[in-house]
Amino acid sequence: MMATSYMGKLLWVDLSAQRFRVDQTPEKLQTDFVGGKGFGAKLLYDLTRAGLDPLSPECPLMFLTGPLTATAAPSMRACVVTKSPLTGTYLDSFFGGRFGPEIKYAGYDGIIITGRAESPVYLWIHDDTVEFRSAEGIWGNNALAANDAIKNDLGEPEAMAVTIGQGGENQVRFALISCEYNRQAGRGGAGAVMGAKNLKGVAVKGTQVVNVHDLPAFKQACQQANAAIAESEVCETLTYGGTSTSIPWASLSGVLPYRNYSDQVDPKAEKLGDEAQHKHLFLGKAACFGCPIRCSQMGAVRTGKYAHLITDIVEYESAALIGSNLDIHDIRAVAHLVKLCDEYGIDSMSAGGAIGFAFEAAQKGVINAPEGIRLDFGSVEGAEYLIRSMALQEDELGRLLSQGVKHASEILGRDTEAYAMHVKGLESPAWGPRGTPGMGLAYMTADRGGCHQRGFMIGYEVGGEEYNGQPVEAHTVVGKAEILKGEQDYLAGTDALVKCDFGAFGVSAEIYARLLTAATGRRVDAGFFSELGERIWNQTRLFNLREGFRPEDDRLPRRFVEEALPSGPHKGQRISEEDMTAMRADYYQVRGWDEQGRPTEQTLKKLGL
Amino acid sequence: MSSASRQLFIKTNFDRCTGCELCQLACSERLLGGYNPHRALLQITHTCENLYHFPTVCNQCKNAYCANVCPVKAIGRDSDTSALVVDREKCVACNLCHRYCPLHIVGVDPELKKSVKCDLCGGNPLCVAACPTGALELAWCEKPAEAGEGE
Repeated sequence: MMATSYMGKLLWVDLSAQRFRVDQTPEKLQTDFVGGKGFGAKLLYDLTRAGLDPLSPECPLMFLTGPLTATAAPSMRACVVTKSPLTGTYLDSFFGGRFGPEIKYAGYDGIIITGRAESPVYLWIHDDTVEFRSAEGIWGNNALAANDAIKNDLGEPEAMAVTIGQGGENQVRFALISCEYNRQAGRGGAGAVMGAKNLKGVAVKGTQVVNVHDLPAFKQACQQANAAIAESEVCETLTYGGTSTSIPWASLSGVLPYRNYSDQVDPKAEKLGDEAQHKHLFLGKAACFGCPIRCSQMGAVRTGKYAHLITDIVEYESAALIGSNLDIHDIRAVAHLVKLCDEYGIDSMSAGGAIGFAFEAAQKGVINAPEGIRLDFGSVEGAEYLIRSMALQEDELGRLLSQGVKHASEILGRDTEAYAMHVKGLESPAWGPRGTPGMGLAYMTADRGGCHQRGFMIGYEVGGEEYNGQPVEAHTVVGKAEILKGEQDYLAGTDALVKCDFGAFGVSAEIYARLLTAATGRRVDAGFFSELGERIWNQTRLFNLREGFRPEDDRLPRRFVEEALPSGPHKGQRISEEDMTAMRADYYQVRGWDEQGRPTEQTLKKLGL
Repeated sequence: MSSASRQLFIKTNFDRCTGCELCQLACSERLLGGYNPHRALLQITHTCENLYHFPTVCNQCKNAYCANVCPVKAIGRDSDTSALVVDREKCVACNLCHRYCPLHIVGVDPELKKSVKCDLCGGNPLCVAACPTGALELAWCEKPAEAGEGE
């Protein structure tokens, strides 16, 4: 058989029956959907029916690799795909670290888990052996402690593990999966799906070799990819300070969320940025598997109340949403709060959104703070209280907020919806879109709800990136749909590999095409990824349509629509109902969708769907 | 040649290691023609919640337990690099070398069914070339001539 970087097998695990089987990776799946996000989009659609409860045993939880995962191609990842208990949409969540490659070393392109164990278990997958092991003694551990506990239980320090914390056990709708090591499949609640299956962890170790089709050509393409990363200024910045450098930049550019998005400028942003983190936290670096960028800065809080806390970089989204969004500017306290989220296993982005929402609701007198707790912007203790009460489901307020701001505002009523910052239920990421309507359109149309990684339009609108050799005007809705479609398609296509967004700042489509060709023997060119991505994007749209999503769901939260920005470079800007209507219509048109946002027969035929 | 002897070795700098495993990928690629870091001939240990990464390479010991215990004398010193190398023709895959290596960094590969160990790639180690941070460096150890040991 011709050598290829695919392992050619999928591992299917049924937790209810405690059985597993190994099937060939279907050839058509490989041809049409390539891997990662592509596999997930197709499999989730085929394996589920409309209205399936994501927390039911039938819902599949999939860990999927791509054809370049586990090879020497730099900066590759893997993903989790399931149905989101937070949004009810298709959900993919990408993670770096070391777990993804191990799936392939054990011999699989992906692991697909269904069912529900009678009592807590973890899976131990070593090559072709799969064991269902009791996790009764580990249940209740935080996500990082569970990683240690599983390895100790197995006596396998070199195994790679994913785990959930208490948040996942308690099915917090934005619970995460903690991936070897302390890398999060963070958004959308995949950890709750895992918890609903009584699955505390998955540990994998494999001895298989991942081969490539043409080793000399592959080595050459890897050299080109590494050289491109080395030459990229953005990658260099990420090596220097991860995404923390974006905090001061985002405030200057008027896109940083401040006090539950009441503004997009934070006067104290610098206290959360790279200089502050270099001074107070950073010591060294930890790279994900096969990544020369090493954006993750490891360190420790050395002084003050949280001294001797080991912490990863407080990356941009967490620093913004737990920091500036809550008006908390002691980076050591922010590191502490984010670490709590990581340990409990809840998404720090959604947690920041939920806490911001709660602080504002408390200010307005809609919710009452428990005795002795101050629920208001700037309150570290208030944030800590809410993180714990959400993750551990300690009280009614915690249980309410742990459902996400969409559900919480629906339950609370009293016009709390006006400041519940989410799209389709996914708490808004840390890039305020007023002044950059293209970014707003990206949130409106992203497959998993409000997400900045499915088309980063701010790069064009305020980042100086050109489109077809021309600068892009920020404060206009005109032409944004076309640019966004290109971004979404390309990103979805390369998320099939599975690439990291940061490596992609250096590595070009041409080089990805060379890597894929050399790895698999399938000849592709630079245009391949956009074509593939368009197919994947329409496949996820079909899923969301089948779930009942309609054009009126492709919208922004009211604050972005109704409240003009009070200050900063985009002062006076908002994204009006008319703006949304115009952009939505443009977008459906460039996508080849009808007025109801449904792909036309012609579009589906063109894409082979 | 001068009367001093020079020995090639890989110096590990844990302060610069990020745990990226590019070294192990390069190593397994040379050994196996594909990728699997567990089967590479150097190791990385991650400790303290991923704060520290310790690369470990074969020490190319002067008093080499692997060679000492080999029942068929399959492990010997390369005259150019001074690395200890396995003669696969002689190796009987008993794995005693692995058992008595203090680092367990030599041993029988599950597929090749022969003992494998770092041979310094014949003098140009690929792991060193692959390391993006200088956590692995190629170095020469220079030893003054001792009585009876000169050329």
